Amino acid sequence: MWLAMFKPLFKSKKFLISILIFIFIVLLGLVGPILYPVDPTSYAGPFERPPSREFPLGTDTYGGDLLAKVLNGTKTSLYIGFLTAVISMSIGIIIGPISAIKGGVVDEILMSFTNIVLTIPNILLAILIATYLKVRSAEVIAFLLGALGWPWFARAVRSQLLSLINREYVKLSRMAGYNDLRLAFEDLIPGIATYAFMSFILFINGGILGEAGLSLIGLGPTKGVSLGLVLQWAVLMEAVRRGIWWWFVPPGVIIVALTSSLLMITTAMDEVFNPRLREK
Amino acid sequence: MKSYALKPFLKYISRKFIFLLVTYFIAITIVFILPRAIPGNPLSTLLRQIFQQGQANPELIRSVHKTLMEEFGLGKPWYEQYIDFVTRAFRGDFGTSISSYPKKTLELIIPVMPWTLMLLIPSIITAWIIGNTLGAIAGYKRGSFTDRFTLNFSLIVSQIPYYWLGMLLIFTLSVKLHIFPGQGGYSQGTIPTFTLKFILDMLYHYILPFLSIVISALGGWAIGTRVLVIYELDADYVNFGELLGLKEKTVFRYIFRNSILPQVTGLALSLGGALGGALITEIIFNYPGTGYLLFRALSTLDYPLIQGIFIILIGSIYLANFFVDFLYALIDPRIRLGQSEGS
Repeated sequence: MWLAMFKPLFKSKKFLISILIFIFIVLLGLVGPILYPVDPTSYAGPFERPPSREFPLGTDTYGGDLLAKVLNGTKTSLYIGFLTAVISMSIGIIIGPISAIKGGVVDEILMSFTNIVLTIPNILLAILIATYLKVRSAEVIAFLLGALGWPWFARAVRSQLLSLINREYVKLSRMAGYNDLRLAFEDLIPGIATYAFMSFILFINGGILGEAGLSLIGLGPTKGVSLGLVLQWAVLMEAVRRGIWWWFVPPGVIIVALTSSLLMITTAMDEVFNPRLREK
Repeated sequence: MKSYALKPFLKYISRKFIFLLVTYFIAITIVFILPRAIPGNPLSTLLRQIFQQGQANPELIRSVHKTLMEEFGLGKPWYEQYIDFVTRAFRGDFGTSISSYPKKTLELIIPVMPWTLMLLIPSIITAWIIGNTLGAIAGYKRGSFTDRFTLNFSLIVSQIPYYWLGMLLIFTLSVKLHIFPGQGGYSQGTIPTFTLKFILDMLYHYILPFLSIVISALGGWAIGTRVLVIYELDADYVNFGELLGLKEKTVFRYIFRNSILPQVTGLALSLGGALGGALITEIIFNYPGTGYLLFRALSTLDYPLIQGIFIILIGSIYLANFFVDFLYALIDPRIRLGQSEGS
């Protein structure tokens, strides 16, 4: 059944190309550091060398190997993106269904809360909170971004469930005496599974781009390497105006390739699974 | 007739206004709680540090310390601190800067705000207009080459952070090709005046940061509007219009107007993220706006300045939000004429 469901997906050229790009970058982050076991925090090389045989992506102002930094940074950025998505998704998947199923006062309270978090500019709030944290691990960054990013998803889940709740089969389940939890897991959540999956992907993008933004403003992870941190040092050391392109181009290319391939995966899925978008 | 139509409009607007006021109040409260709630209390750490550095200029340090103690009211019970903080915030008094003592933070923020607004507002609106138009054309001609090209272009462009595009533009158009200046809001050594020469110089410096935001921001709008237009294509009035033999242009105009409505609210919601991106873009360009000031405040741990910048930025976003909601109420006939949304 699953195979039949996903089969049309593999006919989409867009889906195939984007998933290949995505897998390639994931491999860069996961396998890259093993195949290229250079310590990203060592500063043993010559200064600001352009790409060469010895240093495939060149070196930075302190003699750091940029390929090692980019590979390990990709790993951290993927990790932060994934963790952010898990956190946002968990909050949204709790608040949305409760709000839709319970209705009434519970719905009103949860939705007011959601709207307030939605309206508070979350990047600004993340910057403000990060300011006061002396030590910021990758997990802390992901938690910050994840805890602020969920409202649009919770709202969308709620409104989609509300339209499902009035269907016949749900009413029948209610009559059959299903409790709310069983109703949620058996009748409702499967109906929004594709949407949730696509949102998860968008949350990953939010985490990756959010980390880069926080890092550039000087509030990224305080230890380790991430793509955002590589960019931050490139900016601090005026790499752009001094023409050291090999410092700021590769991390940006990876961020954009990663997030846009993920976004393309979601649009390709939307085109396949959403009958209103399917080409006639 | 008029009064009949005015009532739902006022109701809608006042509900929005109250909601934003409450949210702003909550935002101020968060700004108040954060430094006091985080383990290690960064405020008292900062005060201790300032006091310990007292050897250099004991008189000055002592007066900085005294001002900070008074403004943060650290000796007082929390509710007194809170009431004090909120009343000050509503009066526009956000305390004294540490790094530029004894200047008030507001004095530092006011001169940089126009730069940020001047950069953000025109670029966001331009991106919104271009993006929505592109998306609507693509959606209307769905399946065509124009559609596929616009969609793929928008998908990639929408994921480019403003600041990284800024870096690429500086590197190519400024460092390599020397077409545009790559930093600052105006030429170094000139003093801001209201002369034609200065304004032209300013515009010349404006082009690259402006383009960075416009290009990266338009993708998202194009993607959204394209889907909205495709949904709209199934509507009865479109089929009816086509059957009547209306001109393609006329049908497109109707579709465009109907599908653009949600994007007006989208504009309000996207402002926060756009502002965040613009702040970082300012840092990349050494643009003399709020982002640059915030960056300086962050690197000197000037907490009062950071707090002041936040309260003002969040406040401005809420004002802008309210303005967009107001516009929305004006153009959406359902609110204007007082029909409930379901009917």
